[in-house]
Amino acid sequence: MEFAIISTLNGVTYGLLLFMVSAGLTLIFGMMGVLNFAHASFYMLGAYVAYAISPIIGFWAALVIAPLFVGLVGMGVERYLLPRVHKHGHAHELLLTFGLALIIEELIKLFFGDFPVNYQMPAELRFSAFTIFGTDYPFYRLFIGGVAVVMFTTLWLLLTRTRTGIVVRAAERLPHMAEALGHNIPLVFMFVFGTGAALAGLAGAVAGAFYPTNPNMGIELGVIVFVVVVVGGLGSLKGSLLASLLIGLFSSFAVGLDWSLASLLSLVGLGD
Amino acid sequence: MKHLTLVATASVAALATSIAHAEPLRIGIIESLSGAQTSTGRLYANAVKYGVDRINEAGGFNGEPVVVTEYDNAGGAPEAADKFRQAVADGVDIIVQGASSAIAGQLTEDVRKHNIRNPGDEILFMNLGGEAMELTGDKCQFYHFRFTTTAPMRVNALTSAMKEAGDLGTKVYAINQNYSWGQDMQAAIEAAAPEEGYEVVGEVLHDVNKIQDFAPFVARIKSAAPDTVITGNWSNDLLLLMKATGDAGLDVTFATAFLDQPGNIANAGKTALGHYIANNYDNAAGDGTFAETYRQATGHLPIFVEGHSAFAMAQLQEALKGLDFAGGPINVTEIALALENSTYDSPVGPISIRKEDHQSIRPVVVSKVVENPKFPAEGTTLGFAPVKIVEGKDAIYPVQESCEMDRPEG
Repeated sequence: MEFAIISTLNGVTYGLLLFMVSAGLTLIFGMMGVLNFAHASFYMLGAYVAYAISPIIGFWAALVIAPLFVGLVGMGVERYLLPRVHKHGHAHELLLTFGLALIIEELIKLFFGDFPVNYQMPAELRFSAFTIFGTDYPFYRLFIGGVAVVMFTTLWLLLTRTRTGIVVRAAERLPHMAEALGHNIPLVFMFVFGTGAALAGLAGAVAGAFYPTNPNMGIELGVIVFVVVVVGGLGSLKGSLLASLLIGLFSSFAVGLDWSLASLLSLVGLGD
Repeated sequence: MKHLTLVATASVAALATSIAHAEPLRIGIIESLSGAQTSTGRLYANAVKYGVDRINEAGGFNGEPVVVTEYDNAGGAPEAADKFRQAVADGVDIIVQGASSAIAGQLTEDVRKHNIRNPGDEILFMNLGGEAMELTGDKCQFYHFRFTTTAPMRVNALTSAMKEAGDLGTKVYAINQNYSWGQDMQAAIEAAAPEEGYEVVGEVLHDVNKIQDFAPFVARIKSAAPDTVITGNWSNDLLLLMKATGDAGLDVTFATAFLDQPGNIANAGKTALGHYIANNYDNAAGDGTFAETYRQATGHLPIFVEGHSAFAMAQLQEALKGLDFAGGPINVTEIALALENSTYDSPVGPISIRKEDHQSIRPVVVSKVVENPKFPAEGTTLGFAPVKIVEGKDAIYPVQESCEMDRPEG
């Protein structure tokens, strides 16, 4: 029982972190069809920007500024880089963003060095939320989860309940029709891409203070967020939330259960 | 006409000087200088350059300064094989690598094949950091020398020193990365149990640097209730594990191999207090002379792997002292034979080479994280204080039976 409860708690918070990173990618990859390999780099960029500015303006202000900065970078990419390769198809977009990921990584190393930087959560957030079975449960984990839940609710309401949401969905579903109705489609795409990047930046700024902020953090998360978006269904926000939680829970429980195919076979007398 | 004479004279002069020049000893650093392991690869390259500069300050070798070239293997074995061929084409005599056991495995095979095919034009491999047991076991060969510890050396030193200090306890948990190094660590932890009087209450092998959240592992460790957790984890796998343990409020002592990796202490903060490490060298363990010399030459104190890598180059310098090729061709086999017989008095004790498998017999330093140490880690008040220096003869383990070394004839 103890194992089940602790694993579920850990799995859900990790899943929510995955959702934070993949929410932006769902918008970009799922809705706009851009294979953005640099998405996890935006996550890393968010963490480093927050690390760099938080001593000057404080942790909370950094949580606002870092996503804005990353969002602007994202818009720049959508505006000036992607249109050049768009007509050549997905493969070229993938190559472009892959190159971008490498460039961001090397730039980070250039400015901040090869080693993990000391990006810490503020002292007022460093306490245990509750004690469960004699183990302290850090509040910051709940904070990460909370930010993800707020992010999901806001995005979902924005896309389904507001006029902006209708325009965005229309622009992605039938761009020519939406354009004919007088909407500025390139602008919409730029903002969607920027928002996606900003969400990744926010995830980095929040999670970087808990997990180490290092030049490899983008690579480490890069593959799994693509899995989330694909498993969750392209462009589905609810789907990617579900997929994130599923992967989070799965990895959390898989660690604790030492089952193997060999031990299953030993039940029928094939063990060693 | 006058112009032509001038050109002719110039080229004759150039030819004459090139004849007068002796053949320099060439060292190739085939290291992870881009990609995920850059941070470690760069440190090895720094230390090798520092060591070569010392050789050149003392007059170089064979009448020429030693030439050192960097090759970037981008952290992968196939790229390392490519760079090895390039190094061969450049006429390199000695190759150096440290950041990865997998790459060391590739390079030692490449060196073996090259030496079989090119008798008289051998290449020597100085392995500064590949700790996989097989490199001095199954794959052992005459032209490979390992200038670092292995899992049993680290584990035996850790457990004996911690037992003496009364910090080991009787229940030990082993958590390691699931590849050759982690498996070697786990085997060494099991093997040392009877002698040091502890029981291994749990063992885990997990994915290498893929896990973002160690909380589930901490839950497992907690349910086994160990006194000490021994881990060979490095990089994120160590940092995340320690942080998760600290966040959960679990009171265990960590016995580690790579806690001195830059960034670890600062990131872990007070969580790291009281944890142990066994490594090749620590600034606080020596008398500080080497640390200061290194700082003056490079601008920073030797960190992480830089110390022992500089010692390896210093040992090469010792070996070269007894050789004289009179400006003629470099004979790598003679350098290897000289290395076998060399001893280098490092700041923490003498280092020599075991002839049977070319593992270095070297001291192992066991230290503990304390507040206000002699050399605090980057921007903190924490750092390492030496607990015990295990002498080479006590730290070494028996030669592996799988090692069958073909020695050069004559």
